[in-house]
Amino acid sequence: MPAAVATLLADVEIRAPGTGPTTCEGRNEGVCPGFIIENIDDYVSPLVEHVALVFGSVLAGFAVAMLLAILSHGRRWLIPPFIGATGVIYTIPSIALFLLLLPITGRGTLTALIALALYNLQIVYRNANAGLANVPAAARDAGAGVGMTLRQLLWRVELPLALPEIIAGLRIATVSTVAIATLAIFAGAGGLGEVLYNEGIQRDVFKTNIVFGSVLAVALAIAFDGLLVVVQRFAAPWQRARAL
Amino acid sequence: MTGPQDAETGAPGTAASVVFRNVTKRYAGADVDAVSDLSLEVPSGEICVLVGPSGCGKTTAMRMVNRTVEITAGEIEVGGTPVTAHPPAQLRREIGYVIQQIGLFPHRTIAENIGTVPALLGWERERTRARIAELLELISLPPEVADRYPAQLSGGQQQRVGVARALAADPQVMLMDEPFGAIDPINRERLQNEFLRLQAEIQKTILFVTHDIDEAIKMGDRIAVLREGGRLAQFATPAELLMAPADGFVEDFVGADRALKRLALMRVADVDLWAAPLAFVGQDTAEVRAKLDGAEVPWALLVDSERKPLGWLSERDLAAATVPARPDISPDPVLDRDDVLRDALSDVLQSQAHYAPVVDARGVTAGVLSLEVIADFLSSDEARVEEHAAAERPLG
Repeated sequence: MPAAVATLLADVEIRAPGTGPTTCEGRNEGVCPGFIIENIDDYVSPLVEHVALVFGSVLAGFAVAMLLAILSHGRRWLIPPFIGATGVIYTIPSIALFLLLLPITGRGTLTALIALALYNLQIVYRNANAGLANVPAAARDAGAGVGMTLRQLLWRVELPLALPEIIAGLRIATVSTVAIATLAIFAGAGGLGEVLYNEGIQRDVFKTNIVFGSVLAVALAIAFDGLLVVVQRFAAPWQRARAL
Repeated sequence: MTGPQDAETGAPGTAASVVFRNVTKRYAGADVDAVSDLSLEVPSGEICVLVGPSGCGKTTAMRMVNRTVEITAGEIEVGGTPVTAHPPAQLRREIGYVIQQIGLFPHRTIAENIGTVPALLGWERERTRARIAELLELISLPPEVADRYPAQLSGGQQQRVGVARALAADPQVMLMDEPFGAIDPINRERLQNEFLRLQAEIQKTILFVTHDIDEAIKMGDRIAVLREGGRLAQFATPAELLMAPADGFVEDFVGADRALKRLALMRVADVDLWAAPLAFVGQDTAEVRAKLDGAEVPWALLVDSERKPLGWLSERDLAAATVPARPDISPDPVLDRDDVLRDALSDVLQSQAHYAPVVDARGVTAGVLSLEVIADFLSSDEARVEEHAAAERPLG
């Protein structure tokens, strides 16, 4: 294990499973439902932390990405540098990004939130950009022609019409953040990573937690995604009308 | 922009003239002008059609009125005020705008679409709602479409909503950029007629862009023919344009069938009909023969006691002592005084007799139409001075 990661994990509280070859968890041959039920309370706080990490970082990333999209809308020369910059950030390995931020923001939730938010920029920005570009030229022409100012055109015509694509980007960003946030433990920010890697990073993998931690992460991703599908339907009622 | 901004009736009197004074547009980086030294005046309440081949600058010329294209040189006045006197957004709220792609906002209901400009002007909810209801009625759409989205309407219905949106704040001037261009031919014809009926009611000043000369002749009170580089080739009424094209370009553009197009502007009532020798059932045929001598029409028309046409009398009919009740030759086609002259010509060409009785609204014989009558009319001075008779417009 790299020394840096060891340092990161230094104060992670180890929740040791029961020892001895007599218990299911002691044998560590598969998933132990008994262990999960017995220790269910121990999974609650990592899950809550995870939800907070995802929610906070997606919200922050969304806000910044939208700001970038609005900035580069009508200043098209800004689009390539924005796509480039957010793309570069997206390619930095997560643990490396935590380490890069460490000297600036230190260990803890803030570092994790910033890193996760940065990862969202690329997806949300690209989708918002595409959404704004796909607004029918006729709608834009008509809006300007009836006397909307640029700002009114943006808020009353362009953004509402781009909304389905913006939310589509948000869905991808959210699901991928649920996965990446499991690494927040390396920034000392907790989350489901505690369940997954607490033991996993040690020599012997604790299979029960690997499986149950993953199940929780997947369930969380599905829940977030479902929520956004509902939001999408309410935010774009005209799209349902088209199908009638 | 002088009339009351909040006048929202469709009543006449809320229109303003549009004047182009030496207007030139050159786009940045272009070597030639898109519109070159254009001067014309559209009187209040008239439809002025800008027509010409693609690239003639007609759309550019129109767009300079609401400053969706900025003027390079010259001046445009709406209602006596230069368009540059107000910020573009304010100006545009006072000018209706209809485009070919219709451009309804897909995410807004029909009511919201129609209420776009009232919302921008900050009208009260109740006033906007009343205006929307009024406009839906004006464009003959049922009130229940108000809550639908544009995608749920047919192309023709969307086009009408586009017109209603442009009319919402009762603008003095309307700009229409190929408004029927995206509509199939059958519906286009219907929408054109509908719009002319609407215009007879609202009497707006309208700048109408099209590349279709037939549409221009049908819709326009005046037609501005533009040629490449945005130069005005001719500005005239449809009748003048067809009678006396200013040059070869206009003549070509108007088309080889311009005589027929002129007929489309006229009704049967506009020409001097021939008088037919009339015959009545039971009349002495000798009397009828006497009438035939020197008559313009070489056939006798049998009419009933109310002078409604029954048929043409043949030689055999006239061989009898008295006029028979059933003549040999059918009177068809019987034309109406309100028929469009072009359609009437078609009927006459197809008829056996090459003569067609014309009746008035009560069915009483008013005269006879023949090919000679039409030919004489086309070469007469009367036709030359005939104002745009708008044959395809609704009567009265």
